[in-house]
Amino acid sequence: MDDPVANLIAKCAAQDRAAFRTLYRDSSAKLMGVLLRILKERAEAEDALQELYTRVWLRAGRYDPAKGRGMTWLIAIARNLAIDRLRARPVASSDDGLDTVPDSTPRAETRLIAMGEARRMSDCFATLEPDRAEAVRGAYLTGLSYIELAARHAVPLNTMRTWLRRSLLKLKECLDQ
Amino acid sequence: MTDAPLTPFEADDALAAEYVLGVQDLAERSAAEARLRRDPIFAALVSEWETRFEGLNHGFDAVPAPTLLPAIEARLFPKTSRPGSAGARFGLLRWLTGAALAASLAIVAVATFVPPQSPLLAVLATPDADLSYEVRQTGDALQITRVAGTAAPTGEVHQLWVIAPGASPVSLGLLAEGPLVVTYPAPPQGWLMAVSVEPAGGSPSGLPTGPVILTAFVASDA
Repeated sequence: MDDPVANLIAKCAAQDRAAFRTLYRDSSAKLMGVLLRILKERAEAEDALQELYTRVWLRAGRYDPAKGRGMTWLIAIARNLAIDRLRARPVASSDDGLDTVPDSTPRAETRLIAMGEARRMSDCFATLEPDRAEAVRGAYLTGLSYIELAARHAVPLNTMRTWLRRSLLKLKECLDQ
Repeated sequence: MTDAPLTPFEADDALAAEYVLGVQDLAERSAAEARLRRDPIFAALVSEWETRFEGLNHGFDAVPAPTLLPAIEARLFPKTSRPGSAGARFGLLRWLTGAALAASLAIVAVATFVPPQSPLLAVLATPDADLSYEVRQTGDALQITRVAGTAAPTGEVHQLWVIAPGASPVSLGLLAEGPLVVTYPAPPQGWLMAVSVEPAGGSPSGLPTGPVILTAFVASDA
């Protein structure tokens, strides 16, 4: 299996600092994109990027290539870091920040559909009702919470939770086929 | 899709998916993170969902990242990446330009500013400095004082951790209203200190279970 990012993470686990620099060079633009998309504020995204690579270096030894690709592992750490920060923010600033980046959801998703690697994902999303598929995508890509999703779809919180849980299990059934 | 209640396995699997999606609130997320640490089966479910959602990662546009690598390396590898006093002067400059510091990271350790009997080891602060703790060495103890912000709300507590490179976090105690004094040697340069939000009484597992809200590396320019 050819996974250059995984190889670099393994070298970081062995305290190879040159590999760490290469990893930053090769992955920081993508991870900055993840942080900025979820956190919306550039200064906080840059702050989070420093914390992210610190975590990557310290946790590199825990990466198991058998469980997934290197970039998937890095993006999972980036999303968790960004979502933790988002959820720890005071409620008022979560949706109307001052210096926010416009959300590029539709454009990104149109492109997503065109990409071969994501084809099965989009085929499976197509088995969900459109508003539920949109809720799952919105949460994954922009860090929307249950509370925000419920408001956006104008349904009670518990209804949103039931919808989403059912949709996730249905999605799994399709993806695992 | 039926309206039958989820089986216990389905409920766990849905919980793992919710955690990976990130839709939960802070308390639910903290509970899921705690479970992740102690339940390898749940951790495996989370890992499977991370892979399942991999196809959505194309939806994140790459954005040119600022050149933060020198700052990251200076923090991770303090001795080799700071040539002589230039690094110390840079640290001092950052301390003086408070705005730049607040915008960059919640880390400072410039012991040159404080009396020698009570060196400042680290400042744990949010980027906007709304919440800030100072860690000072006093004799054979560490004194941790909140210099901005408020203690955690009722039912929660801020817990302080120290993490040696490559090791698991060790609790130094709970940060309530007053300063915390704990008998502990000054952590060496490059060790990480962190504050997490835990249920009242502190982490039940002995490791951080709630979100880590503040981190700072110990630096020593003393």
